[in-house]
Amino acid sequence: MTYEKHQFHSAPVLIEDLAPVLRLSLRVKPAHRDTLARVLGLDLPVRVGARSAAAGTEALCLGPDEWLLTAPEGTDLTTPARAVHADAPHSLVDISDREITLRLTGPAVLDLLSACCPRNVAAMPVGAAARTVFDSATVILWRDGIDSFRMDVWRSFAPHVRSLLAQVQGEIAAGL
Amino acid sequence: MLLIHCPYCDDTLPELEFAYAGEAHIARPADPSALTDEEWRDFLFIRTNARGPHYERWRHIGCGRLFNALRDTVSDRFLTTYKAGEARRPLTNEAAE
Amino acid sequence: MSRYRISGKGRVDHAAPVSFTFDGKTYRGLRGDTVASALLANGVHLMGRSFKYHRPRGAVTAGSEEPNALIGTSRGPGRFEPNTRATVQELRAGLVTESQNKWPSLSFDLGAVNDRAYMLFSAGFYYKTFMWPKSFWDKVYEPVIRGAAGLGRSPTEPDPDHYASRYLHTDVLIVGAGPAGIAAALAAAQSGADVTLVDENPEMGGSLLSDPGVAIDGRPAWDWIDAQLGRLRAAGVRLMTRTTAIGYYHQNMVGLCQRLTDHLDSPPKGAPRERMWRVRASQVVLAQGALEKPLVFDGNDRPGVMLAGAAQTYLHKYGVRVGDAPAVVTSHDSAWYAAFDLADSGAKVAAIIDTRATVRPDLLDAARQRGIEVLAGHTVTTTTGRLRVKSLRAAAVRGGTVSGGRTIPCDCLLMCGGWTPSLHLFSHTKGSLAWDADGGTFLPDRKTEAVEIAGAGRGLWGYDPVLADGAAAGLRALQGLGRAGHPAAFRVANDRPGTGTSHTELPTDGNPGKARAFVDFQNDVTAKDIRLAVREGMRSIEHVKRYTTNGMATDQGKMSNINGLMIAADALGKQPPQVGLTTFRPPYTPTSFGAFCGYLRGETFQLTRKTPIDPWAEANGAVFEPVAQWRRAWYFPKAGEDMHTAVLRECKATRASLGIFDASTLGKIEVAGPDAVEFMNRMYTNPWTKLQPGRCRYGLLLGEDGFIRDDGVIGRLSPDLFHVTTTTGGAARVLTMMEDYLQTEWPDLDVWLTSTTEQWATVALNGPNVLAMLKPLVQDVDWDDFPHMSCAECTVAGLPARLFRLSFTGEIGFEVNVPARHGLTLWETLMEAGKPFDICPYGTETMHVLRAEKGYIIVGQDTDGTVTPQDAGLDWAIGKAKKDFVGKRSLSRPDIVAKGRKQLVGLLTEDGSLLQEGAQIVLDPDQPKPMRMVGHVTSSYPSTMGHPIAMAVIEGGFDRMGETVFIPMPDGVRRARITSTVFYDPDNARLKA
Ligand SMILES: [Zn+2]
Repeated sequence: MTYEKHQFHSAPVLIEDLAPVLRLSLRVKPAHRDTLARVLGLDLPVRVGARSAAAGTEALCLGPDEWLLTAPEGTDLTTPARAVHADAPHSLVDISDREITLRLTGPAVLDLLSACCPRNVAAMPVGAAARTVFDSATVILWRDGIDSFRMDVWRSFAPHVRSLLAQVQGEIAAGL
Repeated sequence: MLLIHCPYCDDTLPELEFAYAGEAHIARPADPSALTDEEWRDFLFIRTNARGPHYERWRHIGCGRLFNALRDTVSDRFLTTYKAGEARRPLTNEAAE
Repeated sequence: MSRYRISGKGRVDHAAPVSFTFDGKTYRGLRGDTVASALLANGVHLMGRSFKYHRPRGAVTAGSEEPNALIGTSRGPGRFEPNTRATVQELRAGLVTESQNKWPSLSFDLGAVNDRAYMLFSAGFYYKTFMWPKSFWDKVYEPVIRGAAGLGRSPTEPDPDHYASRYLHTDVLIVGAGPAGIAAALAAAQSGADVTLVDENPEMGGSLLSDPGVAIDGRPAWDWIDAQLGRLRAAGVRLMTRTTAIGYYHQNMVGLCQRLTDHLDSPPKGAPRERMWRVRASQVVLAQGALEKPLVFDGNDRPGVMLAGAAQTYLHKYGVRVGDAPAVVTSHDSAWYAAFDLADSGAKVAAIIDTRATVRPDLLDAARQRGIEVLAGHTVTTTTGRLRVKSLRAAAVRGGTVSGGRTIPCDCLLMCGGWTPSLHLFSHTKGSLAWDADGGTFLPDRKTEAVEIAGAGRGLWGYDPVLADGAAAGLRALQGLGRAGHPAAFRVANDRPGTGTSHTELPTDGNPGKARAFVDFQNDVTAKDIRLAVREGMRSIEHVKRYTTNGMATDQGKMSNINGLMIAADALGKQPPQVGLTTFRPPYTPTSFGAFCGYLRGETFQLTRKTPIDPWAEANGAVFEPVAQWRRAWYFPKAGEDMHTAVLRECKATRASLGIFDASTLGKIEVAGPDAVEFMNRMYTNPWTKLQPGRCRYGLLLGEDGFIRDDGVIGRLSPDLFHVTTTTGGAARVLTMMEDYLQTEWPDLDVWLTSTTEQWATVALNGPNVLAMLKPLVQDVDWDDFPHMSCAECTVAGLPARLFRLSFTGEIGFEVNVPARHGLTLWETLMEAGKPFDICPYGTETMHVLRAEKGYIIVGQDTDGTVTPQDAGLDWAIGKAKKDFVGKRSLSRPDIVAKGRKQLVGLLTEDGSLLQEGAQIVLDPDQPKPMRMVGHVTSSYPSTMGHPIAMAVIEGGFDRMGETVFIPMPDGVRRARITSTVFYDPDNARLKA
């Protein structure tokens, strides 16, 4: 499903809905981080905003003891984690339905984001992500390319965020 | 709008990503039942209300962490920020950087 | 060709005429004109009436500091704007404008009677006149003041335009694109720094646009500007015109208002009218120049009297000669150049009157060459002319004595009282100012931000020093970034250096008590008013300002503050810095509300959260109410039903058979980890250790002060996993509070919190037929072991679910949680399955009635942050054996255990009427007023029992069961009996079915 997708080639910004993915919130103390990383089969970066990926699973460090894991639907990360729970206590909560994800792309995408994002989005490195605010909604912003972002929005905030994005998109199209 | 340095993210970010969380270095007593009514009252209600450098707590939406800050309430400037659980930063010139 | 337009001159497009109307009459201007320049080209100086005296006024400036020429502009319905400065508004095709403060017409105005009665309207007029008798305050004075108040007229329709916002992060922000700003930008745009240069005008160049004869580096000024802007553009500098820096906030955040469409004949579809920029700059350079000061003398406000620099701007930028026979009165060299330029354009300059006895010889020579009469050491004592100045009276000043006055005819009078550095933005930063006695002005002193002030903004004059200063400031800003750059130098030819002196009112041989020598044009404050304020005891400039209203108009005293200060200081016999300067506050110029609102209007006025089931509610005619950030279905009226009828129907259907309710907004927190039960024991009042997996319990959360913060049913899904629910409005707050304790008090605990509010859509089913309807849809639940207050992870309608058996209605109840994407499917499936049971969707109002009938509280409605568990009758929820939990210690504080606390009870009115929530309760309705109020109604509803019910907090309420209390209302006193809060099924028989 696509939301107000421009069909012509040179659209300054594209706003698309992405299909759901498996999304898990992993919480674990630093002492047991390596154990979880090992059984999940991917690196758990320690710098807030850093990402890692392996075999379709991606990890984003959101806080000193918090990672967001994403993977294709149907991936089972819970069973291997549960196996080490006694030795490496942690919390792994399915939040696949908590957020929806928008993909924002195009040469004017930084204008689109800077309408409501107080953070210096232009300075965000490609390959990084951040939990930040878009107007009054908390969002996770992933920079996948120079002109390509993903935005995770809590489901109930999505109508508000979409409406804002559409207004700014119209403004960008007007060229002023 | 202020700029605030989050000691967990090690990044200086806009105030809109942060929330104020009251005075810092007020630990919950280990055994509240051992406190007199007056001691408990002081823990609950008595605050510094500083004019000038003030130890306080902020929460960063980005990393979800509470941290400590030394902010001058007159100039509204952050002199320093540091992680929760760390000792009170001294009021020195270094703190003002 | 308009009468006063000089063919081919200026930066306007002589080949592009633009028609507009002013007070109904059509005029022609040129593309590039402002309304003011176009009117002046047509010989129109009279542009408005003053606010208090309704005196005729014309444009006194050529910029945003204009106090007089305020007009209404219109572009069709909803697009009317009052108080637009005619000196700023650019012409566009079909622009409709009108003058203000006039009735019936601009040239004949009845309100001008105020002018003749000016002796009555002196300083402090409002404070003195509208005092007595007291009975006049609201009957006479207020209507009169309100009738006369206001500047212009308000638009009556909603604004159909939209407004935009942007955040911008830049290394160096330069405010003002005059010579200093351009030089600063050239210096800062080295080494790859990100530079932003903004200017409030349509074109960059600042004062150089009004001084085309100056040459820089061998090029005429205008060519030099074009070349430098080209260089800046090539270097990637962001150039923003029509962009006003309106406020300077902490840590180099500068607010910019960019005007996007007001100058366009037809704006592109979807284009915002204005855009607010919130700029965070590592370094700021303020190159805002200086504002010309008027001279203060009798009749200095007539149309045709304007600032000399403004006349020079009209001449060079717009090709408009403001008069054929201008006279000049000045205390600064700069006005001489304006006189020369006007003379060179064909005007017959009547005289240059300089208040200084000694004038630079080269200026005298240049005047003599042009045949201009020079009166040095002279004053102007008055002017004549009703709707436009006709003559002035000049007199010699020798040793403080004025003598030998003579009348000089003129058709405009150009004045210059020196220049005031524009330091408004610098003042916003709380940077301090230092008095410069030589220049008679304040200059920037101690800085609080990473900011440089350059050029005329710090008192420099002449292009050579200003360019050098701008370049140096830009370089310092670059170095402030830790980058290196090369210094720059500029060669200036035909420079126009200058100095001047400052004055109070000009000396006169007339009666100073009768002089109408204006200091603040917009608020009609005269020099006499300021002296009167001092005589009447005002000592600080802040008091003088408020007593006289000097500097309180929409121009914030840009032209009047220093003159007012000089006069007040003189009257007090003090130096100006001892009297002080009033505080400048944002915005620098009047800014539209739309620009501040940005996107926060219409459907994005406020964040509104919607549940997965919201589309069904909307399609099925729900009336919504806001609850915290959510919109929730309030009730579902059928055709012809009012709220009361609909709610009672929903209540009865639920009690009789089956009701369905969207409870998705309930806060949900996953508490997971080996120490989960320990954490729950510490946070909640209740004991959790013995709660078995698969069972739920009502949880009560206090603050450390012992007052109720939140509540909700909590299920234990496994030994180390709790599914916590919170109130709708408390979800974020509770999670934050829990995180706070975990992070800062108990970091040793192995437990983690995750918000799952939006992971789950929650549907509540209540009523005697719920089991019959639900059981066939559920898999993996052992119904023999699933009593009230149970929970399970199972399958409902083929969907993965968390099923809770609980009740907030008094009927058998369930809450079905499914992943949010399936919420709507689940709802529709249950609606279908419920058909045989006449399933009834209900909203929050019915939920409230049903819970109130059972005496279940709503935290935040029946509690207000001062209610303890004992006060609410919830002692049973306290784990008495627990040594500690959040708030426990407070429950034994003296105030909390004292007698007479307000306690939550039920109320039944004797006449069966419905009480108002919030109504105050008294014990004796006959006591004298003010009565002693002992409590208030917290909840009140019609009920399914044939009479309304209410809850209230009442002092010592538990000991007053059965007593009668009184609720005085405007239409009479209600009597009510105190009861238990449980009105319906007190034995919970219906839950055990
Ligand atoms: Zn952080």
